[in-house]
Amino acid sequence: MSISQILSIVVFVGAYILIATERVHRVAAALGGAALMLALGLTNGETAFHSLDAGVDWNVVFLLLGMMIIVGVIKQTGLFEYLAIAAAKRAKGKPFAVMVLFVIITAVASAALDNVTTVLLIAPVTFLVCDRLNLNPIPFLIAEVLASNIGGAATLIGDPPNIIIASRAGLSFNDFLIHMAPFAIFMMAVFVLVCRWLFRSAFKYDEKRVAEVMALNERDAIRDSKLLWQSMIVLALVMVGFVLHSALHVEPSVVALLGAGVLVMISKVTTEEAIADVEWETLVFFMGLFIMVGALVKTGVIGEVSKALADAVGGQPLLAVMALLGISAVLSAIVDNIPYVATMSPIVADLVAAQGGGPQAESLWWSLALGADLGGNATAVGASANVVMLGLAARNGTPISFWKFTRYGIIVAALSIALAAPYLWLRYFVLA
Amino acid sequence: MRARDLAEEYPLVQLTDSALAAAELIARQRRPGVVVVDADNHPVTVLPGSQVLRFIVPGYVQEDPSLARVYDERGGAEACVGKLAGRTVKEVLPPKDKRYELPLVSGEATVMECAAMMARLHSPLLLVADGDTIHGVVTTSHLLDVLLKTNPGSSE
Repeated sequence: MSISQILSIVVFVGAYILIATERVHRVAAALGGAALMLALGLTNGETAFHSLDAGVDWNVVFLLLGMMIIVGVIKQTGLFEYLAIAAAKRAKGKPFAVMVLFVIITAVASAALDNVTTVLLIAPVTFLVCDRLNLNPIPFLIAEVLASNIGGAATLIGDPPNIIIASRAGLSFNDFLIHMAPFAIFMMAVFVLVCRWLFRSAFKYDEKRVAEVMALNERDAIRDSKLLWQSMIVLALVMVGFVLHSALHVEPSVVALLGAGVLVMISKVTTEEAIADVEWETLVFFMGLFIMVGALVKTGVIGEVSKALADAVGGQPLLAVMALLGISAVLSAIVDNIPYVATMSPIVADLVAAQGGGPQAESLWWSLALGADLGGNATAVGASANVVMLGLAARNGTPISFWKFTRYGIIVAALSIALAAPYLWLRYFVLA
Repeated sequence: MRARDLAEEYPLVQLTDSALAAAELIARQRRPGVVVVDADNHPVTVLPGSQVLRFIVPGYVQEDPSLARVYDERGGAEACVGKLAGRTVKEVLPPKDKRYELPLVSGEATVMECAAMMARLHSPLLLVADGDTIHGVVTTSHLLDVLLKTNPGSSE
């Protein structure tokens, strides 16, 4: 092993430990690691900023930026509040029916928006409805965040790991719809049934309180109906653009940026308001990660790891898929799944190439996506949405402890992976 | 004119008093807030009406303006007022580290000193005291009235 390889591993592992242990802010760790890689000559400006394989993946960064701007505008319309209150009234305030409708809304929204945003939108309405019904909001919040991680797995834009995988693997929006969405829909159906048992003690309620939910005026939640229509039309066009992006030879990032630009231009929303919800920290974190992983690619570390893994599972693609699913799920439960997927993507790309491509080899990508997306449900720190939901609950005076979340999350994550394994086996090895 | 001359008699509430009673005092007498004192009658802080609202309006409604619109008047009142029942003034105040700095001047402070202190602390009330002697409280409306009347260019 060369000196540059050893140095790049030391910098990478050091930054990774800092990110995982949260001893310093994750952005500082990623940027510090990237700066060290550049300072030590383990990568250079040309590679870091312009290389498609070993540099910042601008498609990922700009896709996230575009969607954050669109979401920032949609948030101002009150649409989500309208949908959730209308759903609670349709459920006639019956707690299980409310939970089912809320988790379905969350899962569907998470497929189109990022999970953290969805959680930020559904939590306030959940507090309100539970307050009106005198219910404990904690089971509802946990169910929603679990649903957001399952729903987010369905599409290319639903979860940041999927965006990284799509860009690194050259997978389209439709590829995710074909390969990931069917399992996400099936898993949601199973999850709804599991909720009945998992949160069974949360469904006792006082029927007299139902009138308080029925008295809420959901139509008044819509603050600007013109903006709502503008946002819905642009979002629909963006979705059509995602579906057609391969045929049109346009990157998803371009579709998202076009949508964001058009929405800001046609609506009365100011530029400041439109970009207020952009999570610049997340974007910078991604850039730092890409430079660090790029240095590992440039120094040949990724190539060596891929070769060793290819030798280990050589001729046993099913073993590789199952091992990747399990390892991804376990690691994503412990550490943030974004750096994990950013690191694993070039390795999986090499493994797919080593197996000569084809549906069985490409199922490694779906294995990585399912493991990382669904494994994040296992613990309170497994996914960004979980952490955000815990923060919201604490601020509302109903704190959810790490173990309280994990008690439910680990069951759902284990069940998801236990069902994902036969799905991958049947779809890509038995029925392929 | 000095702060002592501007100070008016003002109701004081203790930390252990009922929060509901303090809110009623603010509401019924149309006061911008009340001065909070400890058991020894030493001023602790000012409890502005806005802080009472901050306490009673659910946090999720404060953060999501769309949700504030879905309540009818009765529902809104029910969601809020019940929160004051059984609470003390101390519970309604922000935590100690986030508590408002006590807006306090001595009786000798000038009108401009009073105005500057209230502007800096965004306080609708200013306590005027020397040692343990509380002279009273200066309100924004009284202070503005004095400033406007003193200005030679004022319409009055």
